[in-house]
Amino acid sequence: MFKILNIFNLLFLVSFAQAQVTKGSLLIKNGTILTVTKGNMENADLLVENGKITKMGKGLVAPAGTQTIDATGKFIMPGIIDAHSHIGIDVVNEASRPSTADVWVGDALDPLDLSVYRALAGGVTSSHAMHGSANAVGGECETIKHRYGTLNPEEMRMEGAPRTIKFALGENPMRVHGEGNRIVPATRMGVEQVFRKGFEDAKAYMAAWDLYEKEKVKNPAALKPVYNKRHETMAEILKGNIIIHCHSYRSDEILMLLNVCKDYQIKRLVFQHTNEGFKVAPELAAYGAMASVFADWWAYKFEVYYSTAYNAAILTKNGVVTSINSDSEEYIRHLYHEAAKTQRYGSLSDEEALALITINPAKQLGIDQRVGSLEIGKDADIAIFDGHPLSIYAVPQYTIVDGVVRFNRSKDAADQRLQASATRAETGFFLHKEQHNHDRCLEGAFENTATFFGLERE
Amino acid sequence: MIIKDLILSRWIYPLLKNEKVTGFFAFMLIGSGLFAQSGIPELMPVTQTYVLQNVQIVVRPGQIISGGTVIIQDGLIQAAGKDIAIPAHARKIKADSMFVYAGFIEGLSQSGIPRPESAAGASGPRTPGGQGQQRPRVSDPWNPTYEESGITPYVRVRDVFKSDDKSLEEMRKLGFTAAQVYPIGRMLPGQASLVSLGIGKNADELLLKENTALVASFSPASGAFPSTIIGVMSRFRELYKNAIRLQDYQKSYGSNPVNVNRPMADKCLESFFPVLDGKIPFIFQAPDMKSVYRVQALKNELKFAVHYADVKEGYYVGDLLKSEGKPIIISLDLPKAADEKKPVADSSKNAAPKDLEMEALKARTAEELKRLEGQAAKLAALGLPFSFSTVGVKSTDIKETLRRMIKAGLTEDQALAALTTTPAAQLGVSNRFGTVEKGRAANLVVSDKSYFDEKSSVRYVFIDGKIFEYEGKPAPKAGANASAGGKTAEAPKVAGKWSYTIKAPGMNTEGILTFKGSGSDLTGEWTSSQVPGTNPISNISVEGNKLSFTSNISMGARQINLDFNLSVDGNSLSGTVGVGTFGTFDVSGAKIDGQ
Repeated sequence: MFKILNIFNLLFLVSFAQAQVTKGSLLIKNGTILTVTKGNMENADLLVENGKITKMGKGLVAPAGTQTIDATGKFIMPGIIDAHSHIGIDVVNEASRPSTADVWVGDALDPLDLSVYRALAGGVTSSHAMHGSANAVGGECETIKHRYGTLNPEEMRMEGAPRTIKFALGENPMRVHGEGNRIVPATRMGVEQVFRKGFEDAKAYMAAWDLYEKEKVKNPAALKPVYNKRHETMAEILKGNIIIHCHSYRSDEILMLLNVCKDYQIKRLVFQHTNEGFKVAPELAAYGAMASVFADWWAYKFEVYYSTAYNAAILTKNGVVTSINSDSEEYIRHLYHEAAKTQRYGSLSDEEALALITINPAKQLGIDQRVGSLEIGKDADIAIFDGHPLSIYAVPQYTIVDGVVRFNRSKDAADQRLQASATRAETGFFLHKEQHNHDRCLEGAFENTATFFGLERE
Repeated sequence: MIIKDLILSRWIYPLLKNEKVTGFFAFMLIGSGLFAQSGIPELMPVTQTYVLQNVQIVVRPGQIISGGTVIIQDGLIQAAGKDIAIPAHARKIKADSMFVYAGFIEGLSQSGIPRPESAAGASGPRTPGGQGQQRPRVSDPWNPTYEESGITPYVRVRDVFKSDDKSLEEMRKLGFTAAQVYPIGRMLPGQASLVSLGIGKNADELLLKENTALVASFSPASGAFPSTIIGVMSRFRELYKNAIRLQDYQKSYGSNPVNVNRPMADKCLESFFPVLDGKIPFIFQAPDMKSVYRVQALKNELKFAVHYADVKEGYYVGDLLKSEGKPIIISLDLPKAADEKKPVADSSKNAAPKDLEMEALKARTAEELKRLEGQAAKLAALGLPFSFSTVGVKSTDIKETLRRMIKAGLTEDQALAALTTTPAAQLGVSNRFGTVEKGRAANLVVSDKSYFDEKSSVRYVFIDGKIFEYEGKPAPKAGANASAGGKTAEAPKVAGKWSYTIKAPGMNTEGILTFKGSGSDLTGEWTSSQVPGTNPISNISVEGNKLSFTSNISMGARQINLDFNLSVDGNSLSGTVGVGTFGTFDVSGAKIDGQ
C-alpha cells in the first residue's frame, strides 16, 4: 500500500506543473532498434535528451545520472500510434443533431481513464481520441499522448498536432437522426446532403466574415457577423486546416465522400474502418486519401457484411497510406498482434506491417514529423519489447513518452488508478467493461435519459 | 389600529411573563401567515428589542467577547460588547453563557427553490417502447430553443423563489440566516441572488441583493444540443462571444442608429452583460477536478471572473484554485464511509482466506474518502478563502459534515469563517452581515455550546431581528437507552417481499423489494417497472421501525444513487427515496408474502 501511495504522491507532483509537458532523458543500451523508416540497427544504443531522440548508434554515453535501460536481447520500436480510439475522453458522442462540427472531444479529456495505462501496457504512446459516429458530421477529435500519471487534462494533448474531425457515413447517422428524430438524413443520400449543406453554409459564413473584415477598414463600427462555431469549423476544413477522419464501410459511400471532397477541393481525408476499401484502393490512392482499418473484424452489422482480412495488405500494395486501429480499449492493448495478422493475410514485410501501427497512423494524424519512427530529432515515444513485436510471444516491457517511462512491466502495480471511488471498494478490473463492445463509436448516442422515473425531462 | 394593537398588547402582556408562552406567541405572531389566512390582521411582535446577557459573543472568527451583552433592536444589532445598558423595553432572552455567532450564510444554495413539478415544455410527447423512440423530441434539433437547451440565464430568483418552502426552516434551525440562491436548471440555470431565510410573504420581502452572479454548470440538456459536456463547452463559448457582439452592437446603435439595422433584443445574451461589464462573476459549478480544469480552460480563453463552486475534489487542485485568486465555494456534500461490515467469519474456524485484493481496494477507498474530508483543511491551510455550498445536501447531514471536516484538520475558526465572513465578503455584503457588531443586520445564531460541539444545540436564531426559538436536545429519557438489550420496540420483520410505489411527478414507479436474513446479515434487492433486471441493495440499516438502505442505477455513464428512508408498520411501509440530485419522492408499500 505504501508503495502505491508513494507512486501517487509522485504523480501529484508531476501534475501540478500546469500543462507543462513533462519530458525526460534516458539512455537505452544494446538493443535491436527497429526504426521502421530507416531499417534496423543491431546491438545499438539510443539516447534521449529532454524528450527528444538525440543519438542512435553504438557505444553511446549519457551524462552522469541519466536513467539507463538495458535492452540487451530486446527490441526497441517507435511507440505505437492508434489512429482510431475513444480512450482518455469523457464524451464520445454529442448526438443531438446531424452535424455537431462545433464540439470538440478535446474539451472533455479524461486523464484518469485507466484504459490509457492499459494502452501503454500494449506499447501505445499516442492515440486519436475520436468523436463518435452518431452524426454525419461529428465533433473535432483530439490527438493525445499517453502521459498517464498527470491529472491535468491539458497535459494529455499532443501539443501542436493538427486539428481533425469525425465524419460518418451510413447506418449510424441514419439511425440516430433519420429514424430517431425523423429528420435528414434518413438515407445514405441524406448523409451526403448534410456534408454539402454544411460546406455551403461554411462558404456563406466565410464570405460574411471576409466582407466584415473589409468593411472594418473603412468603418470601425461595422457590424460583426454572428459567431457560429459550427460554420467556422466547417470553414476551417475548406481552408485545409482540419483533417477529415470519416467512419465508412461501403465502397459506394467512400466514393461519394471522395466526390464531395473533390467538389470542395478538400485534400486531407482519412477513411476509418474502410471495410470495403479494398474495392476502391486505386481510387483512394489516386486521390491521396488514406485508410485506417481493422485487421480482421467485420460482419458485426449489415453494412459491414463484406470485408476481408487482406484489406490492409491490398490497400498497402495499392499505395494507400494504411493503418490498423483499435476502436476499442481491448484491441488497443495488442495492436502489434493486429499488425502481424497482415503477414499471415497478405505477406507484408516486417517494415510494412510495423508501419501500419507507427508511421502510417502518424501520417494520417499529420504528426509524422514528430513521431511514428525512431529518428534523430523525433519525440522519444518508444516501446521496448522482449521479443520481435510481430512475434506472438513478444511482451512489451517499457513504454516511454517524451523520454518519460510511463509503463514499466517490472513495476506494474496491482492498482494503477489515479483516483479511486471514495465510497465503493471496487476493482479497476471491470472499469469501462461496458465499453468493450464493438460499437463504441455509438457510445452515448442512444443513452436513454428519459427512462427512469421520467425525471430527466424537467 | 393603534387602539386595537394596544388592546392586543394588553391581552398578551401578562403572558409575556411566562418565557415559554412568549416564545410560542412570538413565533405565532411572526409566522403571521396563519393569522392572515384566518382573516386576523397581521400583528407586530410586542417588542422588537431583545437582549442576550452574559453570552460568549463570537464577533468574528477568532474574536470572542466573554460575558458580553447583545442588544437587538428593530432588526439591527444595537450593541454587542461589555457593560452595555439594557433598555427597559427589551425582552430578555434566556441565553446565559451561550454562544452567539453571526447568522450563517449559504455560499450557494437552492433553499426556497421548489423542484419543477414535471416535464414542462422542454420535450414533446413520449412514446413507450424501444430505446430510440423514448428520447425526448425537441421542436427543431438544429435550433432548439433556449429553454430546450437548458440556457436560461435570464431566470431570476424572485421569479421562482417560494418564501414558504419548507427548506427555509430546515436551514434556519441549523443557524443559516441567508443564502445565495439560484434557480434550478441546467447549463445556465439563471441569476443567483442573496436572500434572507426569514419569514416573508414573497420573494421580494426576502431579497437581500439581487443578481449576485450568473450561475453556470456542465449539466447538459436532455435530448437537445448541448447534450454533453463538449456541447456545453462549445455553446458556452458561442454565447459568450455573441453576447460581446450584441453589447457592442447595441452600444454603437445607441450612439448612432442612422443607416444601421436595429439590433435584435436577446434576453439570454443580455443576461451576460453584467458579467461582461465586470459587475458580477460567473459562479461555475465544478464538483470534480476535471470540471475545475475545464472551467479554468474556459476562463483563460474568454477572460471572465469566476467563482468555482460546489468543489469537492479541491484536494487535488488546491494550488490551481489558489492561483485563481478568488474565493471559492466548496460543497458540503461529503459521502459517508462505506459501511464496514463485521468480519465475515472468525479466523479460528476454517474461514475463507483473506481477500488481499479487496483489503487493498478498501484501504484505497478509505484514503480517497480522507482526501474528500480533508479538502476544507487543505484549502484553508493554503490560505484560500471559501464558503459552503449546500446544493444537493441533506440539511440534517450538515452539522455532522462540518464536524468531519474539522476532524480532518479544519479549525473551528476556519469553519466559522466559511459560514460567515467569507460568504459575506464574496457577496460584497460584509458591512451588513457576517459579524456580530453594532449596526449590522441582526442575523444571529445562539447555540447552547460551541456550535461545533457534538452536543450543541441551536437555541435561537435571529433574522432581521426576528426571533426563532428552538428546543435543546432532549435529555436521554431514563431507561430508554439502557435497554440496549432489546427490550424496546420490537424490531420489525423486514425479511420478505414487499411491493412498493414511488410517486414521482407525472409518473409512478412500482416494483418489488426483497429482503433476506435478519439483523446485520440482512441482504436485499429490488426490481422496478422502469429499470430492467434486479438491483442489489446495500447499507441496510434497521433501527426501531426505521428501515434505510441505498442502491444505485446507472443511466448510461452516470450513476444515480437511491437513498431510501422508510418506516415499517407491520405489513406496510412508507417513507421517502432520494434519487440522486433529482429530489426526494414519497414511497409506500406493503408486504406481499409472509416469512
